[in-house]
Amino acid sequence: MYALGLIARWVHLTSSLFLVGASAMIVIAGPSDRSTARRWEHRILSSARGLAVVAFASGLVVLGVQTALFEGRAAAALEVGAIGRVLVETQTGRVWLVRFAFLVMLAAFLLLRLSVERRADWRAARGEVALLGAAALVPIAAAGHAAAVDPDTARAIAFDGLHVVVAGVWVGGLLPLALLLRTAATSEGADARPYAVLAARRFSRLALGAMVMLAVTGALLATIHVGSVAGFVGTSYGRLLLAKLVLLGIALLLAAVNRTVLLARLAGDGPTVGRPAMRRLSGFVVAEGLLALAILAVVAALSVTPPARHEAPVWPFGIRLSVAALEGATAEATRTLIGSQIAVLGLVAMIAGVILRTWRLPLVALALVALGAGAGLALPPLAIDAYPTTYLRPSVPYQAASIASGAALYRESCAACHGSEGAGDGLAGLALPRPPADLRAPHTAQHTAGDLFWWLTNGIPAAGMPGFGARFTEEQRWDLINFLRALSAGYAARGMEPSVELGRRWLVAPDFTFAVGPTPPRALKEYRGRVVLLVLYHLPGARPRMSQLAGREGTLAALGAEVIAVPTDAAPDAIRRLGAEPRVLFPIVTQGATAIVTAYGLFAGSPHAEFLIDRQGYIRAIAQSRGEAAELETLLAQIQELNQEKTPAEAPPEEHVH
Amino acid sequence: MRAWKAVVLINLALIVGGGWGYAVWGLRTARLERELAVARAAALAGVEREWIVEGVVRAIFPELNVLVITHGDIRDYMPAMTMGFRVTSPKIQEAVSVGDAVRFTLRGVPPNVAVTAIQKIITR
Repeated sequence: MYALGLIARWVHLTSSLFLVGASAMIVIAGPSDRSTARRWEHRILSSARGLAVVAFASGLVVLGVQTALFEGRAAAALEVGAIGRVLVETQTGRVWLVRFAFLVMLAAFLLLRLSVERRADWRAARGEVALLGAAALVPIAAAGHAAAVDPDTARAIAFDGLHVVVAGVWVGGLLPLALLLRTAATSEGADARPYAVLAARRFSRLALGAMVMLAVTGALLATIHVGSVAGFVGTSYGRLLLAKLVLLGIALLLAAVNRTVLLARLAGDGPTVGRPAMRRLSGFVVAEGLLALAILAVVAALSVTPPARHEAPVWPFGIRLSVAALEGATAEATRTLIGSQIAVLGLVAMIAGVILRTWRLPLVALALVALGAGAGLALPPLAIDAYPTTYLRPSVPYQAASIASGAALYRESCAACHGSEGAGDGLAGLALPRPPADLRAPHTAQHTAGDLFWWLTNGIPAAGMPGFGARFTEEQRWDLINFLRALSAGYAARGMEPSVELGRRWLVAPDFTFAVGPTPPRALKEYRGRVVLLVLYHLPGARPRMSQLAGREGTLAALGAEVIAVPTDAAPDAIRRLGAEPRVLFPIVTQGATAIVTAYGLFAGSPHAEFLIDRQGYIRAIAQSRGEAAELETLLAQIQELNQEKTPAEAPPEEHVH
Repeated sequence: MRAWKAVVLINLALIVGGGWGYAVWGLRTARLERELAVARAAALAGVEREWIVEGVVRAIFPELNVLVITHGDIRDYMPAMTMGFRVTSPKIQEAVSVGDAVRFTLRGVPPNVAVTAIQKIITR
């Protein structure tokens, strides 16, 4: 089924692109009164008729395979009812419906016997074929990966639509052009030779523009669907894309030879001049066309492969390059700076070499040397050890529940060596070949979450750290990593002031879910856009403060601030314990309190703590006390400051560790 | 007929047909949706309704005959929130105390609703 779907996609894509390109080729070549040129035109048009049928039929097969996938059973591919449902009820189906309609119209139009003796008629008739072909092709963008991009779906679809139609002009034009050149190169077809030369020149110019468009839209689509180097080299989508680029590179090389060498040799009007060049050009164009067919096969495979952005990349190299390696290493930073400047010089020389004609060879040689030397100088200091999982994205979000279960695992299996506080001072660690790492150290860009995942899974043999891949599930390992992040963030948060520092957001508030009594659970994330005062309280010590907050609840509400109070003893009857007076009406967490207390306890060690969380989900101030009543006006003023603070355009904190 | 005329005609037919079909279809859908919303609202307005809701008692105001309850979603009426509700009889207030998890019956013509019955939920 998979192979059938793939082949059908390839056939469909090829025939659809050909319909666009062949008709565009006829239009750009223009009308001719030479009999050979006319015969060529009719041959192309009659093959277009056949290809419209092929595109329709292969489209039906693709649709059938798609239906089987949607329904989850192979037999559905042959059921009219199931296919009908897909056609009417899914976006993909509706797109197919529109495309089928245009294909039918195209085939019908090709069957019309219109008289095209006059120029205007010819242009209108042939242009209409190209137009209907493009109309049948472009909507395919709305049924592919681009339609699943979120946000900016429309932008992705527009890029993709442009990409396919431009690809159609290039790919579909190659074989008709080759046919024209070959016919014109024979002695019988000599009358069409000037026409063929003209067509080749026009196509060459158009194809150059098409290539630039393809490169631009392709690069934009790659950033949308792949987005990272790891995605390129570490996922099947990325590798397929690399294969496509390699094939495209060869095709471009051929195209460059065609354009610069062979096209120029076509010049000359004599019946014998340029004939061998024409035949050779025809052969080269066929080769380019075959490469294009191979590229389309890769594209068909890409269309059924999940985009790299949604896959976990497997990093294939032992190192990665990152400027983070230069942190605190002055000598290396200087070396990289000098190397990069040499490389820039090389780049300038390369550009100059390409533009200038007289000094080309020495300049390009100089450029290559400079680029090589610059890279050799600049890159080695940037190398950081990397592992297959380096760019793996955590499958468990940075949430209080995950941090809490990570904390339990840590106490059980890690504290013996790394110490109960994570300082690397556990008793069992003394005997190890290398002292255990201080886990409170700031979370640096030199270690990705994926690196930690690798060390946790496989251990660090040289340091005596065992691997826990067999003992902990994948989820448990991510829990531990989330805990480690909270631990080092919490260590840094010890110095956080009880008053807000405007414009400085760095401490992400771990998300949590909570419930008040039997009401449905809510998440902290749902409060984005409002300031939240998270209160970790303990009775009876915090009774004065709680009464104070309850008394000013109206003011807090008027400022748009939400109070969420969490009893540190996680008592299920916490609301009753607060009593009937004073009336506390803000949410008192009765479910989910344990995880919140464990996670947020890492950020503050006091019996009573108040976290001021801004509208974007960052902890901005931590007030630690014993729960005694304190001045409230300052707090209210700070909430108002946070309300008025300009929010940065950058996205709110990600829910995953980096 | 001249070919260019035929082509223009075909394209015009495509544009007009597509536009007309979309307009008719779009207008019809919008009209039906509006009517549906109106019909739904009419069906619900002015009619006495009843809900069974779960929540926690947060405060009691005996002198006002009001119970403040943190409650879950009330279908087609009110999202989850903390809210004061009138009670129909003082006995209802006397049956519960602050902190009790409760299941209560809310009855009335919105927005004039009141708690008509209440019972504690035994939480594990």
